[in-house]
Amino acid sequence: MSQAESLPVLKTSVHDLKYLSAVLRGVNFATRATITVTKTGLVVVVEESRTLLGTAYVFADVFDEFTYHPEVTEGQSSQQPTIQEEETDYCSAFEISLNTFMECMNIYGTASGSSSKSGKLKPFKNYGDESNGPESDDDQAEGAQDRGDKRSKPGGGRSEHFFGGSERGTGMRLTYIGPGFPLTVTLAQDASGPTTTCEIPTFDAEPHLELPFDSEKMVLKIILKSSWLRDALSELDSSCDKLAFIGNPPEIPEAGAQTARQRQRARMQAKPNFRIEAAGSFGNTEARFIRRMDYPNDRDVLESFECVNPVSFSYRFSHIARTMRALQTSVKTSLRIDDEGLLSLQFLMPSSTSRLNSGGGTSNFIEFRCLALEDDT
Amino acid sequence: MRFRANIDNVTTLYRIMQCVEKLQKKCIIKFTEETMHVICNNEANEGGIQVWSQIKRDAIFSNYRIQSNSNNEITVHISSEALMGALKSASASATTSNSASGSSYDTEEVIVKLAKKNDQAVLNIEIIGSTSVGRRVRVAHDVKIEVMKPVDVARLTEPMCPEPDIHIILPPLQKLRTIVERMRNMAEILAIQANHNGCLKLSIHTESVKIETEWQNLSIPQMMKENSSQDNTDARPDPENLFSVLVSIKSFVKFLSSHVVSTTTIACICQNHCLILYVYIGDVADAGGVLTFYVPAIIDDE
Repeated sequence: MSQAESLPVLKTSVHDLKYLSAVLRGVNFATRATITVTKTGLVVVVEESRTLLGTAYVFADVFDEFTYHPEVTEGQSSQQPTIQEEETDYCSAFEISLNTFMECMNIYGTASGSSSKSGKLKPFKNYGDESNGPESDDDQAEGAQDRGDKRSKPGGGRSEHFFGGSERGTGMRLTYIGPGFPLTVTLAQDASGPTTTCEIPTFDAEPHLELPFDSEKMVLKIILKSSWLRDALSELDSSCDKLAFIGNPPEIPEAGAQTARQRQRARMQAKPNFRIEAAGSFGNTEARFIRRMDYPNDRDVLESFECVNPVSFSYRFSHIARTMRALQTSVKTSLRIDDEGLLSLQFLMPSSTSRLNSGGGTSNFIEFRCLALEDDT
Repeated sequence: MRFRANIDNVTTLYRIMQCVEKLQKKCIIKFTEETMHVICNNEANEGGIQVWSQIKRDAIFSNYRIQSNSNNEITVHISSEALMGALKSASASATTSNSASGSSYDTEEVIVKLAKKNDQAVLNIEIIGSTSVGRRVRVAHDVKIEVMKPVDVARLTEPMCPEPDIHIILPPLQKLRTIVERMRNMAEILAIQANHNGCLKLSIHTESVKIETEWQNLSIPQMMKENSSQDNTDARPDPENLFSVLVSIKSFVKFLSSHVVSTTTIACICQNHCLILYVYIGDVADAGGVLTFYVPAIIDDE
């Protein structure tokens, strides 16, 4: 034990945990999360219903201090062969309750502007809460102001909001000694304030769902500003149960269309490049409704658009709703679908500007992969 | 039996009732010549938390007149919620924050008196104010009460507690509340520990998490009691020695709702017995009153 203590697997510290907590909040929807520690940072993986996989990449430069010592193979009898195998790649994985970790980080109510709400996070949250995200965020921001702090709402999406404000942030130190030891979180606000030590038990990492995305088989790729997708998704009724992403290849403008009016008409008639359709049923009447959101192939909206053949895949709305929190924090979204309908949503997080070495820092991002519903055509 | 007074400090009284209302639907108010006591001692009360408070007459009332056959004391059972409602309509306009309730008048005078309406004893609260155009308004609330018999009053006794092991001044309750509310989501029992070096620890320990929040350098008030000074001389306690008590987090959160009235709060730990909290209303030096919370200890079998 003393030997292990002398070389903890992970030892990190951060002077303000707001950014870290904002990133992790994006994947805080399952009870257990697998945290993989590598030299370059942390990878947090959560999954739901063997269908949705959320991965948050937090690079080491988010932390003020990040020391990682790969587990020592010899001298530790409890080591399992799989872990030893992983060690050749120099990474250590463990499972924790992410929600508990988030609660601990928010013990002073400083991890987010939404302290009261995040505390009530339940696994079976009503989708409506999430799809109405921007509104509820406003409420939260108001609540935050009531308490006299000037933090901006999490949906603001700009990193200075995470660090701005006169209030001093909460510093955090994370220590993970090794397998069988808890994750120790130490939190302090300032010298006169209290110090909090949390010990969160860790579990051996279970193998989780693997959803490899083969970019060779990609049939749709869109890069767009997160705010556009966020607005679109939050417009959808929360009672929907299915959501389809539909892509159409850009049409070549007619050769004869010379005048501006003709071109405009052609544009009006052209199929939209990207469409989101949500379907649900109202009570017993089985009335179906479809709401369409059409995106013109406009540079302002779609930063990049790749689609060869028309594609349409449906997903469970509840799964897409899980991504809302990450979407709200992110600045840019990459949406990719492969030929089997596997959806990959990558959300680029704002970079942590307050870091001194942020000049060329790697951007943190959250990726969701989701399997398509089968019965849909 | 007569009672009549002007309520000068409606806000404070309202806030006191706010804390009390969180604990019990009904409470006991005892008016004496010099003080007002608000008591919550319901056995059925969840967690067994009790409140015994003493508020100086002059901190809240003026023109205070009281007369009764039992030593000029009147003790009543009253619905804390109803009294709160009446006080709210009196204080809302004073703080001009409650346009929703429709009270668009400025309170000038609030009078409380004991009355009888249709053979029912009531506490009549009369608010006299004026609207923005200068018209005079009179709003009256009758809050049903039950006057307690002197025999029953005599039976009211504060909980007996041993000499506390330690007194410590708590950090601002608002800050404590944020932390304890997080903990409440994760556990049911809160451990409170303190030592004579001014260290206070709040911790929870469950299967899924272990959290400990620690404050250093809190003040330890000097207790001016003859017997305690004697104790100090013969056995000076080790300042590092932690005294601890386990309480229900729910009860503790209820106590923390008193942050609205508190300025200074002293916590006393009686190991394995209870936690006593003195919440001072106004400055400690000339406190208008003290709310005393008794939170029973949970005895851990381990």
